[in-house]
Amino acid sequence: MAAMTERISSVLARVPRGVYMALAVVLAAGFPLLNVIGVVETAWLRVGVMSLLFVMLALGLNIVMGETGLLNLGYIAFFAFGAYTTALLSSPKFELRWPFLAVVVVSTLIAMLAGFVIGLPTLRLRGDYLAIVTLAFGEIVRLTIINLQGFTNGPNGITGIYSPLLAGGSEVKTGLAAWLTVDKPIEYYYLVLVAVVVVSILLANLKNSRVGRAWNALREDELAAISSGITASRAKMLSVVLSAGIAGFAGSLYAYYSNVISPESFLFMQSVIVVCMVVLGGMGSIPGVVVGAIVLQALPQVIRQAAGAARSDFEVYRMLIFGVLIVVMVIFRPEGLLPDKLWRRESHEVDPRELEKTRQSLFDLEEGEKDLEV
Amino acid sequence: MDAILELQGVSMSFGGLKAVDNLSFTINENEIVSIIGPNGSGKTTTFNVISGLYEPDSGEILLKGESVAGLRPDAVHDKGISRTFQSLRLFSNMSVLDNVLVGMHSVTDSGVLASMLRLPKVRREEQAMRERAQEILEMFPGRFSGPRQQQPAFSLSYANRRRLEIARALASDPTLLMLDEPVAGMNPMESHEVMEQIKILRDKGYTIVMIEHDMHVVEGVSDRVIAMDHGVKIAEGTYHEVANDPQVVEAYLGKRAAEATA
Ligand SMILES: Nc1ncnc2c1ncn2[C@@H]1O[C@H](COP(=O)(O)OP(=O)(O)OP(=O)(O)O)[C@@H](O)[C@H]1O
Ligand SMILES: [Mg+2]
Repeated sequence: MAAMTERISSVLARVPRGVYMALAVVLAAGFPLLNVIGVVETAWLRVGVMSLLFVMLALGLNIVMGETGLLNLGYIAFFAFGAYTTALLSSPKFELRWPFLAVVVVSTLIAMLAGFVIGLPTLRLRGDYLAIVTLAFGEIVRLTIINLQGFTNGPNGITGIYSPLLAGGSEVKTGLAAWLTVDKPIEYYYLVLVAVVVVSILLANLKNSRVGRAWNALREDELAAISSGITASRAKMLSVVLSAGIAGFAGSLYAYYSNVISPESFLFMQSVIVVCMVVLGGMGSIPGVVVGAIVLQALPQVIRQAAGAARSDFEVYRMLIFGVLIVVMVIFRPEGLLPDKLWRRESHEVDPRELEKTRQSLFDLEEGEKDLEV
Repeated sequence: MDAILELQGVSMSFGGLKAVDNLSFTINENEIVSIIGPNGSGKTTTFNVISGLYEPDSGEILLKGESVAGLRPDAVHDKGISRTFQSLRLFSNMSVLDNVLVGMHSVTDSGVLASMLRLPKVRREEQAMRERAQEILEMFPGRFSGPRQQQPAFSLSYANRRRLEIARALASDPTLLMLDEPVAGMNPMESHEVMEQIKILRDKGYTIVMIEHDMHVVEGVSDRVIAMDHGVKIAEGTYHEVANDPQVVEAYLGKRAAEATA
């Protein structure tokens, strides 16, 4: 049995990564067709859209958590910045209906600006302090939204957000313009899927670049990194701003998709869930984070469907199950479901610091010095 | 001979302890200078001040006539000073190759947008970086060949990790290379090999200042030797001048021994 699984996993490991990626994209793109032919209900398309939005959030958070090694417990605030910017620019609230692209770009930029502003005072902090400050930031943003009634309608939220027009400026329900209006779940699904695929590719490129290596170096040993010419403050700020921008982008799409946004979508718990997605999937691993987000977002819906549980009940159990799942993961597979190679090494195979100690006492074993096989 | 590095009256204290006390010296182009001295004499602190990890309390540090005192470490590195650490500081979980590539950070410039889009110029730069990294790793023949480059740095033997730190420091083609005890913990054969490599680096035109306790290595490679004790420079000259200096003998062996040898 063990030999069998080993054989299988060794065969699987030899399949090029690109094949898995292509397969995942094909599966994701094919999913709505099940709805078209009537095999799955439209409700599942909605689950799909939300899962994809959370994939985007998890990809964004992974930049700071996985690559640069900074914890952010208020990440959902950037999602809120994107969503509210979009709601204000494309709803009856101020009677604005900016073109889709302009709205998305401005929403992303506003979230990036928020990232910059919170990054300035906090990036000097480490570990625990950073966690507390980002947590507070998330709550402050949410409470501000609730109290800034004039802009946000407070707890009632903003309703009637217009559907995106991919072209043209006004709502024409005929011809090409109608075709380019995104308003059905399946259309949103493909819109968000394209966005997720594009973001993943851009981030994968970044990971294997000078910038990505600088982030990893800072995470590994900040002192050695700055002594190797990396400007810590700039590199960290870059990762915070970029990750905020991705959340803002996701928030913008979310606002369009849901038509209605209110502060209760941006609770601290949501930040925690995104953190869980990154940890579960595997910090620093793009495929891992994608899987983590889908599992934590879609699986509960599947379970709920299967159990037929009432909504309020279910929310309670959902968090409980999350908690248990994360504890189990941290104990048995701390590197995540589909780990990045750096984190796999870090999290359990060999502890470099322990190794260092052993090495220090063994280094002068004359000629017998050998590199460790990994 | 042009001065590459010039320290003028540099002092650095920790609380009441003067770790470096009014230190002045010059490193000239293309020479190897060793700094020696008993434990705690301020050698590493001197490196830390030069490389920007500490800001000196007073004094001036000039690299090719331009002040670098008080600059942050990344800025100092940009100016052309790179270093290794006495206690190894590799990016342990990153691959051997990536460690060297990180060392090139300040001599490359692909930005975030260009990297995300993998523009042709980014590809070209990445390609050039990898080729350069190969050249650097090949300076240590047989040590970082083939698949070993993809292994995480922590998996290397102690001696190879020391070599990798040198490789990382060389990656930016520094004006001044500072090595903090490059052969510490190596056996005599390995020390000898590193010593030969340091000489090769000088022949390639590098300027090197090195802290070293291994007197065999110091004697073997140094054009000049500077001896420190209690943060003060107590002697400077050729290896033989410094090794026979009464103050140096005293610093190492104590006063009585110094009198006995005199
Ligand atoms: N960050 C620090 N804080 C306080 N004291 C320090 C610090 N760094 C060094 N010192 C002290 O400064 C003095 C000089 O230390 P330094 O590390 O420069 O010595 P060294 O010559 O490199 O010695 P060794 O040969 O043991 O490496 C020592 O007394 C040391 O304890
Ligand atoms: Mg020292």
